[in-house]
Amino acid sequence: MLGCAVLALVIAHDAGAQILPEQPISVAGGHIVLGAEVSATFAPEDPGFFNYTSYEFSALRNLRLSVSTEIRATDHLQVLGEVRLDQGRVLEAYGLFLRVRPWPARRFDIQAGRVPPTFGAMSRTAYGSTNLLIGQPLAYQYLTSIRPDALPGTPDDLLRMRGRGWLSRFPVGNTVDAPGLPLVNTSRWDTGVQLHGLAGMIEWTGAVTAGSLSDPRFRDNNSGRQVAGRAVVRPSAAVAFGLSAARGAWLNETLEREVSGANSGSAQQIAFGVDAEYSAGPFLVRGEAIRSSWRLPEFGTLQLEDPLTSISSLLEGRYKISPGLYLAARGERLDFSTIRGERGLLEWDARTWRFEGGVGYSITRNVIVKGSFQRNGRDGGRVRRETLFAGQVVYWF
Amino acid sequence: MVLKWLAIVAGLTVMGARAPAAEVMPTGGASPAERNEARQNGGIRGRLDIRKIDKPVERRPDVAAPGAAGPRDVPDLRRGVVYLESAPRSAFDERDPGHAVMDQRNERFVPHVLAVMVGAIVDFPNSDLIYHNVFSLSRAKRFDLGRYAAGKSKGVRMDRPGVVRVFCDIHSHMSAFVLVFNHPFFDVTDVDGHFELPSLPSGSYTIVGWYEGEARVTRSVVVPPSGWAEVELVVQ
Repeated sequence: MLGCAVLALVIAHDAGAQILPEQPISVAGGHIVLGAEVSATFAPEDPGFFNYTSYEFSALRNLRLSVSTEIRATDHLQVLGEVRLDQGRVLEAYGLFLRVRPWPARRFDIQAGRVPPTFGAMSRTAYGSTNLLIGQPLAYQYLTSIRPDALPGTPDDLLRMRGRGWLSRFPVGNTVDAPGLPLVNTSRWDTGVQLHGLAGMIEWTGAVTAGSLSDPRFRDNNSGRQVAGRAVVRPSAAVAFGLSAARGAWLNETLEREVSGANSGSAQQIAFGVDAEYSAGPFLVRGEAIRSSWRLPEFGTLQLEDPLTSISSLLEGRYKISPGLYLAARGERLDFSTIRGERGLLEWDARTWRFEGGVGYSITRNVIVKGSFQRNGRDGGRVRRETLFAGQVVYWF
Repeated sequence: MVLKWLAIVAGLTVMGARAPAAEVMPTGGASPAERNEARQNGGIRGRLDIRKIDKPVERRPDVAAPGAAGPRDVPDLRRGVVYLESAPRSAFDERDPGHAVMDQRNERFVPHVLAVMVGAIVDFPNSDLIYHNVFSLSRAKRFDLGRYAAGKSKGVRMDRPGVVRVFCDIHSHMSAFVLVFNHPFFDVTDVDGHFELPSLPSGSYTIVGWYEGEARVTRSVVVPPSGWAEVELVVQ
C-alpha cells in the first residue's frame, strides 16, 4: 500500500503535481501544526536477532507511521505530541508533553510529560529520515541480556545468556522469556520534567524522569528517579562537541526488595557519553562513545563487587556524491566488562560489532529511498556472524 | 517602480558582493540605459491581483527537540511573476544573463522568488550564524551546495529554462523559487502586484501570471505600435 502511495507520488511529481502533502499542515491560523513520517523498511529474517528492539520486532522489518502535533497556544505555552504505529499495528503515544517558555525572547524551556531523550547524540537521529542509514546504532537498539524484572541467581546464570538479549531468561523474579535492555532505549520515551537552555555556543539540557536510560517508563517501577544531563558546545557551525550523563534506578522495586531487602533504588544505571560532529560541504562525520554500568543487588551467590559495564563506540559518516544522492557508513561495537564464572573470567555479554554501509536517494525532497548492507558479528550466542541487506522508503512532511 | 529599477541596477553592480540583497532582483541582462529606452518604447504593464496569499511554510513539529527553536523570519509571499509565454524574435539576441543573489537570512531565502535568464549565476550567501545547505532536485537545475557557514557564498549557473525549487537540507521550512527564462520578458511583481514588461514590439502576446509554483492565469494581450497595453490579471 505504501509502495502504491510512493509510486503515485512519483507519477504525480513527474506530472508536475503533488498529491501528498509536502509541508506541515497548519490549521487554526498556525496554532496547530501537524507533521508526519511514513517509513517502510524491508529486510530478510534476522536469525541472529541483531536488529531486534525492545518491542520484539526487527528495526529492519517495520512499517512505521508517526504523526506529530504541535499546539502553539501562546508564545509561552505549547503542547507537543507524537503517536507512532509500528508494524502497522502497535500504536503508542511516543511523546506527549507541555512546553513552557517563561520568557519568549530567551532560549529557555521547561518541558513536562513524556519528554524526548536527554542523553546522547543519536537519540534524535536513530530512525527514519534523520538516520543516515537504516539500522539503528547498537547502543540505542541492541538488547543486552539484563532485565529490570528478572535477575540471575549466579554469575553463570548471567553468562549463559551471553548473546541472547533478544529473549533472555533468569531464575529470579519474572521467569518468563523476555527482551533484555539496550544501553539507551530510543523505542520509548521517559516521563518527567526537562529543562533546556541555550547560552552563546553552549546548549544544555537537564531532566528528572521516572525510568532509566535503558528502561524509560510512563509509570515508575521503583522509587528512584533518573537524573540526566547533556551539554553541547558549538565553537563553530561546523563542529559540535557533546557530553551526556545519566543516573537512575533501573531495577523493579519489588524484585530488589525481595532478593536483597535493600532500599529501593540502590541498583543504579550510570552512564556517560561523549560525542562529536563535524560537517562541511558534502561531508558529515559523527562519533560517539558511551559507558554504561548497571549495579546488581548482592544476594545468594550473586556477589558482584563491580557493576556490569558496557562500552559502546560508534563512528558514522555521509558523503553527498550528487544532488539527492549520498553514501553513508557506520562502524560500531559494544564491549562488556568481565565477571568470574565456573569457567573463569568472561565478558558478561557477548562482544558485538556492526558495520553498515549504504546509499540514499531523494526522489523528491521528502521521499527518500535507502539501501544498505549490514555485517554483524558477536562473540557468543547461536548466530555469531550475519550479513543483511535492507531497503527503506521514507516519506515525510 | 523607479526604486525597483534602482534595486536592479544595484544588484547588477555589486555582483557577488555580500551587500544585503534587494527583495526583488530580476536579471534581464539589459543595461539601465537600455531599460529606460525600452520603457519609452512601451510594452505590457499592469497588476497581478493575488486574491489569496499563501501561508508561509511552518516548521515541522520537532517533538524530539529538548526545547523550542529560535526565532526566524517568515517569507514574504505577496509577489508573483508575470512573463510572456513565447517571446518575439528579438528576445533571443545575445545578451549578458548577469548575476543574482538569493540570500539566506534568519532561516529564510531572500528574496522568496527570483527570476533570471538562462545563463545567469545565482549566488546563495549564508548570512546566518548557523549552517545552511542549499539544494534543488528540480529538472531545470539539480544542485546541492553542501553545508557552508556564515560569510560564505556559493553560486549556481542556471543553464536551462524552468522552475527551480530551492530548499535547505537542514531547515525544511526554508524554500524559494528561481524562475529561469530563455527570454528577457518577465518581471517579479512588487508586493502590490505591479509589473512591467517593457521593450515589446507591437503585436499579440500571451502573458502568464505565476504564483507559488504554478502558472495560475494566462491572458492574450495586444501591444500597440507605441505606448503600453494595460492588463489586470487575477489569481483566485
